[in-house]
Amino acid sequence: MTDEVKEVRDGEVVPAPASQGNIEKSNHIRSLIWGAVVAVIIAVFLPAPLFASNLSFLFYMMLWLTMAMSFNFVAGMAGYMPFGYVAFYGVGAYAMGVLYKTFGMPIPIALAGSAAAGILVGLLVAPTLRLKGVYFGIVSLALAMAMKLVISLMPRDITGGSLGLILSSANDPLAAYYAMFLVMMGALAAGTWLSMSRLGTALRAIRDDSEAAEVVGVNVVATRLKAWIMATMFPALVGGVEAWYTNAIDLDSSFNLLVTAKSIVYAMAGGLGFLVGPIVGASALYGIDQLIWRNFPTLNLLILGVVIIALMLLLPRGIVGAFAQRFSRFRRFIP
Amino acid sequence: MNELLLQGLVNGIVVGLIYALIGVSLNVIFGVLRVVNFAHGEFIVLGAYAAYFAQAWLGLSPLLAMPLVFVIFGAMGYGLYFVLVQRLSRSNDPEHASLLVMFGLSLVLGALMLLAFEADARSLNFTLDPPFLMFGNIILPTTKLLGLVVAILVTGALAFFLYRTMPGKALRAIIMNRDAIQIVGVDLNRLSALTFGLGLGLAGITGILVSMIFPSFSPFIGQDYTLIGFIVIVLGGLGHPIGAVAGGILFGLAEQTAMVFFSGTVAMLLGFVLLIAVILLRPAGLFGVQNSR
Repeated sequence: MTDEVKEVRDGEVVPAPASQGNIEKSNHIRSLIWGAVVAVIIAVFLPAPLFASNLSFLFYMMLWLTMAMSFNFVAGMAGYMPFGYVAFYGVGAYAMGVLYKTFGMPIPIALAGSAAAGILVGLLVAPTLRLKGVYFGIVSLALAMAMKLVISLMPRDITGGSLGLILSSANDPLAAYYAMFLVMMGALAAGTWLSMSRLGTALRAIRDDSEAAEVVGVNVVATRLKAWIMATMFPALVGGVEAWYTNAIDLDSSFNLLVTAKSIVYAMAGGLGFLVGPIVGASALYGIDQLIWRNFPTLNLLILGVVIIALMLLLPRGIVGAFAQRFSRFRRFIP
Repeated sequence: MNELLLQGLVNGIVVGLIYALIGVSLNVIFGVLRVVNFAHGEFIVLGAYAAYFAQAWLGLSPLLAMPLVFVIFGAMGYGLYFVLVQRLSRSNDPEHASLLVMFGLSLVLGALMLLAFEADARSLNFTLDPPFLMFGNIILPTTKLLGLVVAILVTGALAFFLYRTMPGKALRAIIMNRDAIQIVGVDLNRLSALTFGLGLGLAGITGILVSMIFPSFSPFIGQDYTLIGFIVIVLGGLGHPIGAVAGGILFGLAEQTAMVFFSGTVAMLLGFVLLIAVILLRPAGLFGVQNSR
């Protein structure tokens, strides 16, 4: 065994090719770290309503954790930048509102409808996945705007027109809190599945070189589609639960570009492509963002923009990514 | 009904040429720098405000403000290139990095304009002596006619620059082959900075035209112009400067005729449908060569 041998390449210390046993060992450690992270999240958010006075702060923290995590499914693991990510959130919110208010369905069914609507829209726009780079980003943004316009053209008595929908009879913040908790747990589970299974290996192979992946027998279309469906279903669910929590839906807040912007910032600040990246990023920035929002509401967008530019120029790989680059021998332990 | 359609077509050509100008400047920047300028619309709105304040403070008519705005915006672009864009070419994934940086810049500019100029929509106080001309039953406001002439002149000057002058030819050469141009001794960095300046200068001029022709502008509408620019350059071919002219006119015509028969919302939606259809069916644009990517 030559586990300890290291070679120097381009001035950087690269670990020697790991043996089979070594890979299993680092996989094991990685799973343990990930398990610990999930345990901490559960320990914080599950009992929190018993102690915390500010339920809203925690609710929105879970919301952004989930949005950033599911953005990572498609941006970090599959290599697409959907600038119209808010479309799925908005469609989910409206599906919930229309099913509950207009058609009188119970809330669990309305929320299932949110997820279904997200998946449906995701499947409808799935052909855009064959576009690359800039094209995909532009089309995604255009689709989000188009989606907003389509909903605004729908009959008033279904979607409420420019006034939106008010779901006052559904008011139950605590239940909505735990619904968001379940959605977040679902996103954590989906993230685990996407990155630690064979599917995750296939996704990373496609992201890095889709032609090579195809040659070695990866089904590129089906693999991408699985990540895409996950990435469209969770924002739709989040939108639905948020609509339940606030009891109000309107076009401008449901299709607010800020939703996309914040998902991107949180995911990127942590580090795209790492499971823990969006969690680190959202936890680090969410508190700061709330502080700014409370004290200088008009500066919120300005600061968000500055943060995006600064991150891209100074820390393009995010917190976790920079750590992994600096301490490259720990790279394989980071989930 | 026929006159309405004709009126729509005339409006379509005027508006289409403005859209073409948006697309051309976006395409010059994308072609040379491989940067999709998400903040382009905000620069256009900034140009409109520049015309507004040039008139309010200096008493300059929008036409006289144009060269001034072109120079100021050009210098701003030249400087911004070194601050924001240059470092991006060293990143792992320059295209996505540039998209994100420009997205951030668009948020910053929108917020700054909101702070500086407040949310209410403004319009330029600009009329010409006969307010409109009649051709049969078709009304053509003279400001629109003037805008049309200016847009044609600017596009013509740009085409002359790109096809008949040395720097313009060097610029097109970068679009065609980035590596070869460095071998023949062109300073890529400096030319890229100049291109970014040129693109923003054109955005400033476009903004002045927008303030002359459209009824009002506000800090929020930058995004709309960016999206229109995206639609136009995708129609004409990404990175293809003159293709954008055709794309712009086509989109202007489609939008304005849809506005006559349906509503503004349907006209917008039509633009997006057009964009998505073209990208899926002919990714290189209606007039582009298929292998351009």
